[in-house]
Amino acid sequence: MSVFNRNEKDGGNPVGGEKPREATPAAAPVKPAQANVQPIGAAEAPKSGGVSVISKALRITGQLESTEDIRIDGEVDGDIHGVSVTVGAGAKVKGSVYGQTVELAGTIEGKIEAKKVVLTSTAHMAGDVIHQDIKIESGAYIDGHCRPGTNKLDSKPAEVKKVQAAAS
Amino acid sequence: MSAAPARPLLRPPRSDGMAGAFTSHLSKTMTVKGDLDSDGEVVIHGYVTGQVCADRLVVSAGGCLEGDIIARDVRIEGRLSGRIFALNVILDADAEVSGRIFHNTITVAKGARIDARMPWRPPSYFETLEQLPEARA
Repeated sequence: MSVFNRNEKDGGNPVGGEKPREATPAAAPVKPAQANVQPIGAAEAPKSGGVSVISKALRITGQLESTEDIRIDGEVDGDIHGVSVTVGAGAKVKGSVYGQTVELAGTIEGKIEAKKVVLTSTAHMAGDVIHQDIKIESGAYIDGHCRPGTNKLDSKPAEVKKVQAAAS
Repeated sequence: MSAAPARPLLRPPRSDGMAGAFTSHLSKTMTVKGDLDSDGEVVIHGYVTGQVCADRLVVSAGGCLEGDIIARDVRIEGRLSGRIFALNVILDADAEVSGRIFHNTITVAKGARIDARMPWRPPSYFETLEQLPEARA
């Protein structure tokens, strides 16, 4: 209710009129009012740069692609293409993981293809590891081949759609 | 696929009230082709094609989602093409939404571009929803 009142104060636009998009700034003061209506966290809460975080509570079925870092604490059923991919303890990935750097503390059933691979002591790796540089800590489980990769590992994370460009 | 689960699509709120502590962020350059299922919060800054189930979902400015949403709270600041099934819906000033918005409460900010029907449903509808209705043209 209060939202509507505010709008009238701000712009005085007739309701239902075709409004130009420039009206947006006038709508800005409305935001706090909305916050009162519902406790939905604003998007700009604790955003840690360009890192994507798949939390413990999230399960993804499908393919992930990013030109930035990815941290996985949840479950992913599908392939992952990233730059620096971290699979945290307790996380589970069924599928291949591609990146410049892959650090594994959880479980991967599939393949790792990365320049630099780190299997920490809690890692559970079922599948092949293709690497240029690998570190395996004591305690890591690995069932698969480790082989040095070819130079095609200079993987550019496949064309990630520049949606943002289109969005603006 | 998470199709035809025996449980309702919308999970009861976490008993520990920690939904906010399990926030997933999909960054700007992140593209996901597939379904997301969470009992915490999901924030989409990037591009997602597929169905999203979550306790809270935010499609932030610049974010884009093509697919259906099942959630308790939804906030759209970016673009959405698909259906929303949510108790509480907020469409921000920069939102661009097309599809259908099944809601119990809804807030639309001035400036939002909406091309959608917005059927109201009682809370029980969302809590017992086990399968999404067929998409109609």
